Amino acid sequence: MAAVEPVLRSGASLSRPHRWRLVRHAPLSDKLALGTLALITLVALLGPTIAPHDPLAAVGPASHAPTWQYPLGTDEVGRDMFSRVLCGLQSTWLAAIAVIVGGVLIGGAIGLVAGAAGGWIDTILMRITDVFLALPASILAIAVVAAIGPSLFHTLLAVSILWWPYYARLVRAEIRSLAARPHLEAARLAGVGWGGRLWRHLLPGAIPTAVVAASLDVANLVVLLAGLSFLGLGAQPPAPELGSMTATGLSSLLTSWWIPVMPAIAIFLLSLVANTAGDSIRDLMDRS
Amino acid sequence: MSAPTEVLGPGGTAATATERPIVDAADLNVWLTRDHVESHVLRGVDLRIAPGEIVGLVGESGSGKTVLGMSLLRLLPEAARPRAEGRIEVDGVDVLAGSEDTLRELRRHRLGAVFQDPMTSLDPTMRIGGQLREVAGSDGDAIELLEAVGIPEPRRRLRAYPHELSGGLRQRVMIAMAIAGEPRLIVADEPTTALDVTVQAQILDLLSTLCRDLGCSLLLVTHDLAVAAQIAQRVVVLYGGRIAEVAPTEALLEHPRHPYSAALLRSRLDVEMDVTRPLPTLHGDPPDPRDLPAGCPFAPRCEFARPECEIRLPSLDPAGPGRFDACIRSEEIDLRPKRVELEPWVAPPVDPEAADALVAEDVQVEAGTASFWRRGAPVKILNGVDLRIAGGECVALVGESGCGKTTLVKAVAGLVETSGGRLDVGDKSPQMVFQDAGSSLTPWLTSRELVEERLRSCGVPRAQRAERVRAVFAQVGLPAWATDARPAQLSGGQRQRVAIARAIVAPPKLLLCDEPTSALDVSVAAGVLNLIGRLRRELGMAILFVTHDIAVARLIADRVAVMYLGRIVESGPATTVIADPVHPYTKALISSLPGTGGRIKLKGSPPSLFDPPSGCAFHPRCAHAREECATRAPHIVAVGDARHEVDCVLAEERG
Repeated sequence: MAAVEPVLRSGASLSRPHRWRLVRHAPLSDKLALGTLALITLVALLGPTIAPHDPLAAVGPASHAPTWQYPLGTDEVGRDMFSRVLCGLQSTWLAAIAVIVGGVLIGGAIGLVAGAAGGWIDTILMRITDVFLALPASILAIAVVAAIGPSLFHTLLAVSILWWPYYARLVRAEIRSLAARPHLEAARLAGVGWGGRLWRHLLPGAIPTAVVAASLDVANLVVLLAGLSFLGLGAQPPAPELGSMTATGLSSLLTSWWIPVMPAIAIFLLSLVANTAGDSIRDLMDRS
Repeated sequence: MSAPTEVLGPGGTAATATERPIVDAADLNVWLTRDHVESHVLRGVDLRIAPGEIVGLVGESGSGKTVLGMSLLRLLPEAARPRAEGRIEVDGVDVLAGSEDTLRELRRHRLGAVFQDPMTSLDPTMRIGGQLREVAGSDGDAIELLEAVGIPEPRRRLRAYPHELSGGLRQRVMIAMAIAGEPRLIVADEPTTALDVTVQAQILDLLSTLCRDLGCSLLLVTHDLAVAAQIAQRVVVLYGGRIAEVAPTEALLEHPRHPYSAALLRSRLDVEMDVTRPLPTLHGDPPDPRDLPAGCPFAPRCEFARPECEIRLPSLDPAGPGRFDACIRSEEIDLRPKRVELEPWVAPPVDPEAADALVAEDVQVEAGTASFWRRGAPVKILNGVDLRIAGGECVALVGESGCGKTTLVKAVAGLVETSGGRLDVGDKSPQMVFQDAGSSLTPWLTSRELVEERLRSCGVPRAQRAERVRAVFAQVGLPAWATDARPAQLSGGQRQRVAIARAIVAPPKLLLCDEPTSALDVSVAAGVLNLIGRLRRELGMAILFVTHDIAVARLIADRVAVMYLGRIVESGPATTVIADPVHPYTKALISSLPGTGGRIKLKGSPPSLFDPPSGCAFHPRCAHAREECATRAPHIVAVGDARHEVDCVLAEERG
C-alpha cells in the first residue's frame, strides 16, 4: 500500500484539472500572451456594446485629432475612430476565427478519412487537396469576389474554400503516423469497428497538432482578410472594417494621419497577439 | 563516505593501491530537471575503476546507471539542466570543473563510448569510412581499426552507410570508433541490449579482448546481471540512485549481501529453474527518481525491511575484501541463492481432446519490395510454416530478430495477410499482448475505457461492464485506482497488465503474446510471466508466446518452436528440445543460456530476407554444414518423440 499511495496521489491530480494545472505552471510570458488573447477576444465580442459612440454616425467635428473625448480622433465625416476600430476588431477577429474553424473542420475531416483509409481513397482526396493548394489564395479570392460581388460574407466564403487544404495535409500526416502505432492493431483485435477506431483511437491524437497549427494561423488570416478588404474586396464602406478603413483613410495620411494609421495599428496588434498566443499554445501542448 | 582504497582491494583486480585509478568518483550527486521537476538522480555515489579493470554497472530503469556513465564523460543532456556535486576524476582530469577544451581533449584521446543503439549514434548520412577517418586520421588507420574489431572485408565496409550494416557490425564500428584514440577508459552503455543473443556473445567477447589488449578499463552499464557477469571482474549494483552493493563478480553471484542483488539473482532465468512453480518475484516497481523514499530506496520492496530502513539512508559500508553493501541488516540475514518454495503450479490445462486452438499449415507471407526504379521480387517473410497448438497448450516461438516470429503471430491475429497456406483459429478471434505495452494502449484513453471497449464489442451489457472491469483488474493484480489512469501515468509493468486485462476480460481460446516482457525490468518481468502462467491455468487458454529468450520459453511453454528465416527449424516438447536439441541452430541458442556449459559461438549474423542463402538457410553459419546443405533444403522429420520435429539433414539421418 505504501508503494501505491504516492502514485495514487499523482495519478489523481493528473486526471482532470490537467490543462489548468499546465496553464498555472506556465512561464509568465505564456500567461501574458494567453491573457492578452483572452482580453482581445472579449473586446472583440463586446465591441459594439462598449463602443462609446455609434460607429456609423457622425458624432463630432470632421478629422479631429485624438483627444480625451475621441481617443483615436474622428474621421473625414466626424465618426468616432475609437468606436469604429472596436467594431472593426470584432468583424476581423471573428471572421478570421470563423474561417479557421471552417478550415479545421473541413480539412480535418478530409485528412482523417484520407489518412485512416489509405490506398486509393487517400490518393484521390490528396490529389484534390493538391489542386486547391496550387491555387494562389488571394488571387482566387479576388476572382471569386469579382464574380459574385464584394461583401464580407463573399470574401469569407472565398477564403474558406481555400483554407482547408493546409489542414487536410496536416491532419492526414498526423493520422498516418498514429495509424502505424500498435495501439490501432490492438484496438482492431479488441473488436473495435472502423468508425470507433477512427473516432476514438485516431482523431484525438491529431487534435493537438491541428489546434497548434490553427492558433498560429489566425494571424495569417487577420492580415489576409485585412489585405483583401484594403483592396476593396471585403466589407464595403461605411461598414467599420479595419482593412477598408485603412484604405479609405489613406488619402488623408498627410493631413490627418490618425485616420489610416489607427486601424492599421489595430491590425498589427491583432496579428501580434494572435502570433504570440499561438506560440504559447504550442508550448503548452508540447508540455502536456 | 567509504574507504576508497578498499574498493580496489584484493577482491577487485590485480591493481595495486599505489596505482592511480582511472576513474575516481566520490560522493557524486547529480540532479536532472524534466518538466520543471528536478529529481535527485544520483545520491552520493562512490566509484573507482583501476587501470585495465572491467566493471559492470547493473541497475534497472531509473536507477541512474546511464546518468553515472554519462557523468564520467560529462555528456549529460543539456536539456535536462544537469547539476552535479562531488568529485569525478577520470585519468587525473577533474571532469566536473574542467573547461570545455580540457574535456574535449580528454574525450578525444583518453575516453571511448559505446551506446545501446549504434543506428542512432552513427551518422546515417555519412559513410563508415568518413566517420572513422574523423577519429582515426587516415584510411589506413580506419582499416586497421575495422580489422581490430573483426569486421570482414574492411576496405569494402569503409564505403558503406550505417544502414547497410547489420546491428552487430554497426556495434563493431561503434567500438572501432571508441578505441580509435587508444583510450584509457571505455564507457559502454547497454552495448548488447539491442542485439540478438548469438551476436551479443560476440560483442562481449570483443569488448573484453580489446580491453585486455589495449590495457584500457571498461565500465559496462547494463540492466542484465548475466551480461555483466560474463566479462566484468567487479560488479556495482545501483538502485534508486544509490550503490546497493559492490563486489567481485564471483563473490556477488555466490553470496549477495544486499537483498536487491539477491532478488536480481533470483529472477535470473537459467536452464535448471524449476518450471513447475511460479518464479520468485519482487512486488512493486523500481522507485520513481522524482519521488524517492527518504530511507533505503529498496525498503518498500524488501522482505527484510525494518521500520528503521524507511527512515535512514543506509551508508555503503565495507564488508570483506573488495566488498561493500548498503544494507543495515546485511550481517544478520542470509541471502545465499536458494530455491524459494512457492506453491507449485497446477498441471497446465492442455486438453488434447478439445479442438486445436491453432492449426497452421504451410503458411506463407510475402512482402513486396520496390525501389525507385523497379518493382522487386517479393520477399518471403514466412516460408511454409506448420504449427499446431492444442487447446490450452502454451507454445513458445523462439528466434532472433528478423526470423519472422512476429509476422507469424500477426498473421494468426489476422493483422497480416497470408499469401498461401491455411490458418485456422476456430470461431473465437485470438487476442494479443504486444511487446511494447505503452504503444499498444491508446494514450488518451483510460484503462477502464480500453477494457470496457473490449466488453462492448463482445456484447456485454453496459450494466455489467463496470463489475467485469473491477474483477479483471483484481485478477491481473492492478490496484483499483489504475482503472482511471491513462497509460502515461502507469509504470511499464502496470501497462502490460492493463494490456493483458483487455485481452482476457473476455477470455479468448488463444492468446498471442509478442515478447510481452522483453521491454520490462528484470524484477518486473518475472511478475508478468507468473501472471500469464496463472491466467492460462485459470482460464484454460492456449498461448502462442513469442520470445527471443530460450529461458523464458522453457519456463512458460509446454512446447517450443524455433524459427530461423521464416521457417520453423525445430519444434517439440519444451523439456526435450532444451535438454536434447537436434538442430545446430537450436543448440547454439540454448548454449547462450547461463549454466549450459560451453557457449557455441555462431559465426556471422542472421542472414537477410532480401538475399536468403540457398539450400538450408542456416548453412552459412552452421558448424556441421556439408556440401549438400548449400544446394538442398532439408525435410522436416520427426525425431524420437512423435511431436519432436526437426528441419535438418542431421535429423533426416537420425530419424
